[in-house]
Amino acid sequence: MTKLGTVKDLEELRLKLLSRKDPNRRVIAVCAVPGCGAYGSEKVPPALREELKKRGLEGKVEVIATGCQGFCEKGPIMVIRPENILYISVKPEDVPEIIEETIVHNRVVERLLYKDPSTGQHAVHESDIPFYNYQTRNIFGNNGLIDPNSIEDYIGIGGYAALAKALTTMTPDQVVDEIKRSGLRGRGGAGFSTGQKWEFARKAKSPDGVKYVIVNGDEGDPGAYMDRSLLEGNPHSVIEGLMIGAFAIGACEGWLYVRTEYPLAIKRLYIALAQAEEYGLLGDNIFGTGFSFRIKIFRGAGAFVCGEETALLASLESRVGEPRGKPPFPAQSGLWGKPTNINNVKTWANIAPIINRGADWFNGIGTKTSKGTMIFSLVGKVNNSGLVEVPMGITLRKMVFDIGGGVPRGKKFKAVQMGGPSGGCVPDSLLDLPIDYDQLTAAGAMMGSGGMIVMDETTCMVDIAKYFLNFLRDESCGKCTPCRVGITQMHAILTDITEGRGKEGDIEMLTELADVTKNASLCLLGGTSANPVLTTLRYFKDEYLAHIRDKKCPAHVCKPLVKYSIDAGKCTGCGACARACPQQAISGEKKKPHVLDPEKCIRCGACHDTCKFGAVVLQ
Amino acid sequence: MAASEPAIKEGKKKVGAVCVVGGGIGGMETAISLAEAGYKVYLVEKNPSIGGTMSQLDKTFPTNDCAMCTLAPKLVGTARQKNIQLLTNAELLEVEGEPGNFRIKVLRKPRYIDVDKCTSCGTCTENCPVRSTPQIPQIIFIGPKLEPGLKARYDRIIDRYPDRKGALLPILQDFNAEYHYLPADAIRYVAERLEIPLSKVFHVATFFTAFSLTPRGRHTIKVCLGTACHVRGSTKVLEAFERKLGIKAGGTTPDGEVSLETVNCLGACALGPTVMVDEEYHPMTVSKIDQLLKKYGWGTPASAKDEGTDGGAAGDAPGEVAGKKEAPSQ
Repeated sequence: MTKLGTVKDLEELRLKLLSRKDPNRRVIAVCAVPGCGAYGSEKVPPALREELKKRGLEGKVEVIATGCQGFCEKGPIMVIRPENILYISVKPEDVPEIIEETIVHNRVVERLLYKDPSTGQHAVHESDIPFYNYQTRNIFGNNGLIDPNSIEDYIGIGGYAALAKALTTMTPDQVVDEIKRSGLRGRGGAGFSTGQKWEFARKAKSPDGVKYVIVNGDEGDPGAYMDRSLLEGNPHSVIEGLMIGAFAIGACEGWLYVRTEYPLAIKRLYIALAQAEEYGLLGDNIFGTGFSFRIKIFRGAGAFVCGEETALLASLESRVGEPRGKPPFPAQSGLWGKPTNINNVKTWANIAPIINRGADWFNGIGTKTSKGTMIFSLVGKVNNSGLVEVPMGITLRKMVFDIGGGVPRGKKFKAVQMGGPSGGCVPDSLLDLPIDYDQLTAAGAMMGSGGMIVMDETTCMVDIAKYFLNFLRDESCGKCTPCRVGITQMHAILTDITEGRGKEGDIEMLTELADVTKNASLCLLGGTSANPVLTTLRYFKDEYLAHIRDKKCPAHVCKPLVKYSIDAGKCTGCGACARACPQQAISGEKKKPHVLDPEKCIRCGACHDTCKFGAVVLQ
Repeated sequence: MAASEPAIKEGKKKVGAVCVVGGGIGGMETAISLAEAGYKVYLVEKNPSIGGTMSQLDKTFPTNDCAMCTLAPKLVGTARQKNIQLLTNAELLEVEGEPGNFRIKVLRKPRYIDVDKCTSCGTCTENCPVRSTPQIPQIIFIGPKLEPGLKARYDRIIDRYPDRKGALLPILQDFNAEYHYLPADAIRYVAERLEIPLSKVFHVATFFTAFSLTPRGRHTIKVCLGTACHVRGSTKVLEAFERKLGIKAGGTTPDGEVSLETVNCLGACALGPTVMVDEEYHPMTVSKIDQLLKKYGWGTPASAKDEGTDGGAAGDAPGEVAGKKEAPSQ
């Protein structure tokens, strides 16, 4: 492997890589990541190679084990190019048939195609499926084209060209200016202007000239996994963005801070860094421009609060991950007291495309105040769950019903929870709300890191508020009193409400506590902790009242408020529920209606899940 | 307080004076109330001045009141009360006696100035030449005595990080990876080698969820409690695992085979509810748990044998037995 000493070397390598590729040659791209791995996807590429070898097709067909392609509900996804045939839920057993039919005989295997649930029609290509149709995959799309373990694949699709352009044709100030003009806002949640943040760090003085840039990959929001998918599926795009940022700010060292729960992402980043170093893209005098830069990886240790930048810095210095007050901002005094710029994974991944295609291109996408695209993880009670990248300003309705394909099993849509524990629940009355930073904040929710959890009528909103407070109670570092005590008290009240001990005045007390916790907390973990409570109170007050006044959980979720019984009219006496019951609470003769003993019942729901006749009734 | 129970022994006289230890907002309030009730109060404070932590706060929870507005009247009240004698820069050394009649010993630290003449103008502190030089006490470490073999093993991990700056967390992570928990002597040894106070190492070791201070099982089942999994019923999955393994979340089976843990998000939200066994992901429902446990050979063998003759119900029985076994220890 030769070092790429100049920009010309990079371009020559790219052309060489392209010339090796025959555009008509068959390529099978299949996702091989843990999210899909649960369905055995990591076994598919070896099975493909094996089968191809058996038939002597090795050199003729290329197999790429890609990162996450987004349509996780139907994973693993397989795309066969150049025809762009899309197969879903592929198993290793399907491989011989795919090779025989599609590769050898050019026929489509119909049973592996996506079938539209409403029309029953099969879709052959990605573009035929609504899930893909409404998306604009500027950042995420490359995941399906490359092998994340191969820097050559990344260079082949134009990788590191933006870095070359920035280093050789632009000054650092021009780079900052370009990002500022693009209108890119931080994708980590708060939505601060990235260009401005860079400008602060660029202008900050460092006595010994040392400055740092950091990738915040501590993706802690439950329900969001696009950072993992980007780091695992296209690590070089994040690294390239980081390098451009380092050049603009004047940093000589970068850190990749990744959650310890993502071992594969860490592994792939190590590989990516080693490859970039081999090519001379990292190290001293990059492209002969005199710019030197190195990157290190830091594994988090499992603390949600470390996603907050000052807490992240503390843990990077091996201290306890407690946030501190700002100012001074990290741009003035960050890692080891030096000027530091921290951005989210997705923000960094946006940089190279902006430099490549210009601020005006980026500016043309999105709404007035929120530019570009955003990657959301559309999950929960939705038919097509997965990662979707859409332009800012798309409505929630389009997200849930067109891309997501609506709520499964004909249940009624209730709300979308957005922005993780700091976000809020958006009800169906706001489905036509265009998604951008400011509109969401006005609705009481938050962009957050892009988690979008769909809830249907079987989700209890009081329980959801309790769930988030329980999460935040665990994750609060305990440094400041409003957060530590405020969240605990709100959680105690919500626990009482969900266990049938709610009383008049609870809602007022919750509102008051929420207000204090929000205003007096040191960092945003506490400052936004009240959002789940405030939004559910704002949009779903009737559910709170049902719990408090009638001691009923309308969604049948809060166990102490739910009673199980068997509808004698529907029960066929099959005995399946009695066998499933861990408490032997169900009895009855064969083929005669069974009876449930409420004294023994622990409300585990096993009978309800088992019964095929809907005879187990929840009240 | 002086006048509390039990009854005073005969022959001893009740003393009409009270000692309050600590001159923060609570101590001052107590002292003022007692003084107003007619008691002579000795208010002992270890710092040079009264006021405590509240004097450093801007606002107080949960009313958001201005801290100084609450504190200032109490400071003035304490100073004005003739019944209160302030003993600042002093520490309580001994208490002896019984309710109603205590004798206390207080150490008053020297101030090297004549308190009666001092007007608190502050000129001396500004001119002091020693004040601006750091006065670092020498830290002496008393580490654990380790067997040579163990010491070499510990050293190998620590020496992976020649640059000590910021090495604590990675070192602890490596220990955790190797031993599946942080042995107590390892924590002490790391503190000694890195010359970091043990309390700080312990603070880090207990703060992050990746670390465990008790030995973990050879395998780990992590049940994801992320939001997407939660709305799809992960709580029920966790409860079923707890029943079937006979352990609570965070616990390890008695044979040390498997630990049950919860995790806030595994990042496999589209599959929910998800569990991770070691490094393998599994989409899970309550009804699939038996199959999973059987695949790994966990749960008790009895259930596997009985299966088929008595249907699924037998699969749940061992969990119940184990649950009962565990109950007394809780």
